[in-house]
Amino acid sequence: MAMVPLQGCWRGDFVVQLVPVDDSNTMPEVAAAVAVHAVNLRVPAEDRPMGVWVNGERVPDEKTVAEAGIEPMDYIEAGYV
Amino acid sequence: MPKLQRHDYYDTARDMNWAFSYVDEKDAFPEELSKSFGIENEKWWGWDEPYKLTYREYVHNQAGKDAGIYSIRSTIARSDMYEKLDEGWKSAIKAHYGAIPIPEYLASIGEARMARFGRAASWRNMASFGTLDETRHGQAQIYFPYCLIDKDPQMDWAHKMAHSNEWGAIAARSLFDDMFTANDAVSTAIQLTFTFETGFTNLQFLGMSADALHVGDIEFGALISSIQTDEARHSQQGEPTLKIMVENGKGEEAQKMVDQMFWRSWRIFGLLTGLSMDYYTPLEHRTMSFKEFMTDWICRQFMDQFQDLGMKLPWYWEEHFLPELDDYQHGMHLGVWFWRPTVWWNPDAGVSPAERDWLEEKYPGWNDRWGKHWDVITENVRAGNMEQTYPQTLPVVCNCCQLPIIAPGLNGKGPRVTSHNGRKLTFCSEVCEWVWKSQPERYDTQLSIVDRFLAGHIQPPDLNGALQYMGITPDVAGDDADKYAWAQEQRLAAE
Repeated sequence: MAMVPLQGCWRGDFVVQLVPVDDSNTMPEVAAAVAVHAVNLRVPAEDRPMGVWVNGERVPDEKTVAEAGIEPMDYIEAGYV
Repeated sequence: MPKLQRHDYYDTARDMNWAFSYVDEKDAFPEELSKSFGIENEKWWGWDEPYKLTYREYVHNQAGKDAGIYSIRSTIARSDMYEKLDEGWKSAIKAHYGAIPIPEYLASIGEARMARFGRAASWRNMASFGTLDETRHGQAQIYFPYCLIDKDPQMDWAHKMAHSNEWGAIAARSLFDDMFTANDAVSTAIQLTFTFETGFTNLQFLGMSADALHVGDIEFGALISSIQTDEARHSQQGEPTLKIMVENGKGEEAQKMVDQMFWRSWRIFGLLTGLSMDYYTPLEHRTMSFKEFMTDWICRQFMDQFQDLGMKLPWYWEEHFLPELDDYQHGMHLGVWFWRPTVWWNPDAGVSPAERDWLEEKYPGWNDRWGKHWDVITENVRAGNMEQTYPQTLPVVCNCCQLPIIAPGLNGKGPRVTSHNGRKLTFCSEVCEWVWKSQPERYDTQLSIVDRFLAGHIQPPDLNGALQYMGITPDVAGDDADKYAWAQEQRLAAE
């Protein structure tokens, strides 16, 4: 259990933000952490599941941050799938 | 004693160079303070400026200018002109007053460095006048807002900005220290007087002066246009310096310096002037869009002059710079508005239905790209969900320009995350990365505001801690210039 700061951009939002997550978080949890700073703020909410992409590739939902090899201040994208 | 006529003494007084016999050139002009680029001694002596004047003329002219602007100021002070100005316009001038006065004073340091370490006497002569000019600009642009502090506490940031760690202040210091405060005399002539002053400050000063007169802000218009007349003179130090470099086979070195500083200047201007022109200036007084201004002043006039000197367009012109003219300022504006408590002025949302129509006309597709974000914000304001119109985290900023990384600028890719000597770095663009990596030892000692946050410098690590770290007090923290009146007007982008 360790805090990992990430550079996160919500797909459809306009800015990259500092998003702290935990290395035990799964991808939907990471996506939700990014969504807090975009959805209903500048992007409309949708009733759809969320996911995470790294280098344009979708990261399997069940992987944790640690298992996916995501490191502090890596850039990730999150969004509705 | 008979006086000589000006034409008899002028060139002797203006341009007395000599070969050193008691000291080495390298000791009189150390490379660190005056980079020779391998061009030595007499090769600089042909330095020739177009607009010449004597010290006697200088004093006479400047005294007249000061009498003009200070008397306008003291007359206007007896009126309620300031109180009646549009709130968005006031924000434009407060942003200007915060960002500019102390950097003007710092520029006098850069000019003074050229006055001693410029490699030709005529250049040192011009830089002496430049030193006095920039001192004047620092003084006038601190005095005018100082007189308005009683009416508007945000005017205090004309002095406070440069002494704070507000994120815009960090970006401004990063730019100006690179350009002149911590730059050698020759590089300063290329990067400040040529690149920044001939190109960009024309935008800020002449453009805002025209808008000021339309808006009825006679005081600001008079101040700014008077300042620009000085700029027209001391910015001429760039061209002769550039010519000597090109003539002596150092065109590539000069090109690189221009390329670096043109980009860095563009970044700050996209932020400061972009907001003012496209959002803060009242709609009925907008003469042009920011993109139109950039296209006319930079892409046509400055570049024509530039290419006449045998220089090339910067390598990133087509692929990276031109496309940004459509979006960068809109991203900066949305960011500044959303993070408005972190700035010392009141951002004007500038998205009433009429203004959105103007934005769509000037930037086809604006509603699809940017209006959609403002739709969500507008709905939140109408519904009273104000906490959703404020941020809960920091934007990530670029380790070069220190400004927020906006998604459209990434061309569908992420920010450029890289490392140097074990340190992880993030850049907003290929060009910022190139600038940084061209002189890593110069930039590597600096921490961005995000680096500082991660290193624990900002305590508590939340919005209040950040505001405290930035020196933003409750009486200064920005809020919407029009108190959200625009959100009550009916139409949305979708309608």
